Amino acid sequence: MKEMHGLDVDPLTDIAICSGQTEAFAAAVFALIDPGDEVILFDPSYETYGGCITMAGGIPVCVDLDPPHWTSDPNKAYEAFYCQNKSYNIEQVLVCIINYHRKLYGIKTAGWRVGWAIASACIASTIRNIHTRITDCAPAPFQEAVVTALRIPPEYFELLRSDYESKRDFIIKMLAGVGFRIQFKPQGSVFVFAELPESCLLSDVEFIKESIKQAGVVAVPGCRFFHTMPPSDKRPPADLSYQQRYIRFAFCKSDATLAAAAQKIAGFSDARGRLKLF
Amino acid sequence: MASASTVSAPNTEAEQTHNPPQPLQVAKRLEKFKTTIFTQMSMLAIKHGAINLGQGFPNFDGPEFVKEAAIQAIKDGKNQYARGYGVPDLNSAVADRFKKDTGLVVDPEKEVTVTSGCTEAIAATMLGLINPGDEVILFAPFYDSYEATLSMAGAQIKSITLRPPDFAVPMDELKSAISKNTRAILINTPHNPTGKMFTREELNVIASLCIENDVLVFTDEVYDKLAFEMDHISMASLPGMYERTVTMNSLGKTFSLTGWKIGWTVAPPHLTWGVRQAHSFLTFATCTPMQWAAATALRAPDSYYEELKRDYSAKKAILVEGLKAVGFRVYPSSGTYFVVVDHTPFGLKDDIAFCEYLIKEVGVVAIPTSVFYLHPEDGKNLVRFTFCKDEGTLRAAVERMKEKLKPKQ
Repeated sequence: MKEMHGLDVDPLTDIAICSGQTEAFAAAVFALIDPGDEVILFDPSYETYGGCITMAGGIPVCVDLDPPHWTSDPNKAYEAFYCQNKSYNIEQVLVCIINYHRKLYGIKTAGWRVGWAIASACIASTIRNIHTRITDCAPAPFQEAVVTALRIPPEYFELLRSDYESKRDFIIKMLAGVGFRIQFKPQGSVFVFAELPESCLLSDVEFIKESIKQAGVVAVPGCRFFHTMPPSDKRPPADLSYQQRYIRFAFCKSDATLAAAAQKIAGFSDARGRLKLF
Repeated sequence: MASASTVSAPNTEAEQTHNPPQPLQVAKRLEKFKTTIFTQMSMLAIKHGAINLGQGFPNFDGPEFVKEAAIQAIKDGKNQYARGYGVPDLNSAVADRFKKDTGLVVDPEKEVTVTSGCTEAIAATMLGLINPGDEVILFAPFYDSYEATLSMAGAQIKSITLRPPDFAVPMDELKSAISKNTRAILINTPHNPTGKMFTREELNVIASLCIENDVLVFTDEVYDKLAFEMDHISMASLPGMYERTVTMNSLGKTFSLTGWKIGWTVAPPHLTWGVRQAHSFLTFATCTPMQWAAATALRAPDSYYEELKRDYSAKKAILVEGLKAVGFRVYPSSGTYFVVVDHTPFGLKDDIAFCEYLIKEVGVVAIPTSVFYLHPEDGKNLVRFTFCKDEGTLRAAVERMKEKLKPKQ
């Protein structure tokens, strides 16, 4: 944390080691959310967040990021914080940041299930107490291995980043080449959120079904990452059809797999090189 | 909005350098759940150099063949996300073992769910199948995560106390507690901390009450292979019970690998559904290489289990004889690797005072059992010792107690 973000975090009081980032999030939510508490999420968001908040009796309140560059409109955020009949003392609002196991993703061991939450001591303490009641501890041998992983010299991660950047560029070029609209190049993560062109009449789910059946390539429909909020006085009905137009492709795959996917997609394209489904 | 608790911040030498310490924040329904008693006692043990017969983890390692299987799985590249409800080979191994133990044939794909230890199996079962306001019956003393996860689920908890000397189920009390309003009953057998094993007669009565009142049963059977004085019986194997039972178990106690966190549930599809929903939002998937190794472990020959029991029986004898010689009243323990004793001959006011005295003045750790009751005063005369330690450690602990612990005349 010090090396990456310049933050002085106390290892004895400010950290809860959990069974993966999923459990770190669950522990944080159960530790802090009372039934009826609202939790603001920025949409599109990972499906687990909303489900976990709901399971704890909380209410997910989604603030839409605006396509195509997923920018946040301050007015929407303001509206989420200050709704009709409610007012909040802003100091009471907790902002919890769950640190992705960035370096674990970097050492490609997502299946080891070691993650963590970092927060001020007054919150981290509670997260730890609840975590021990959900899974007791993260797998012990892998906690030891993660210590080694976190001490890998920065050069390894530079090489890794450059490797993933190439994969990202490869997949973007390939997808754009067959007709996907890529208006936003991902700045991080291992995913591309590609938009179906207007000429494609299929929804995201329909497209993926056809892609599996006909091209033999799997991706994830984007609709699962959007949570439609009901319109209100301050939230007029909006055109949310874009929420069924996105496909999430992962590029955390070997070069051979990415090349094979490109080949299958090419085989599923017409003479102009556009996907037949478009 | 989350409330600020008035509990003081954890005792630590490190200070916050940039902000003064703030009051702890915790959701209201979870305010009473602080650092577990196990953590507190283990930290005190380290501080005083005490022999730890408190927290139930062995001080010896698991079998080589299981460790090798994990190492091989890592080397074979099994390090990415496993299927959410379990690596197929482990689901099959669990189903095979369940058939051997209970005679029941279950579908590994639809009726087995792998979790991060039995602790997460319990959390997923409670959160997946219990609605806020649902009534759930527990037998006290109970493992501390039950109450916490039931509070997370918003359940109404009814506790029935098992009392010494034999910790038999008080049937009249159970019959008045259970009703059509009861959603589920939780049974831990062999039982932590008392070592009691639910008899067939007890399970039959509970089963008929559950069928009559349409009540689910959640069973925690992690110590099923440490059954010494009688055979372990799974509630799911009783007539008519499989369809309303979630059977939970894990690898850790049987194979001395408590830190690996591999557990599972076996339940009919309509109950497995709820468990899997909650599981997918709690941890999503379980440690991949350890699952592969767990499948190997579960295929161990009968001789492994026979030797396990022989080994633990010898350890139990050392501890029980030793505790009796020291002057404790030792209650009979049929299963698990725990034994509870009455500490009152030594004149301390309650179990917590006794355990603190035992650590600081004698150099041995036990667990105060009052934390395992809804009403702590029910447990103030009892403390729990574990014998999941090598024989040298057990003998050394007994010697320390013989030397320094004297009954008050």
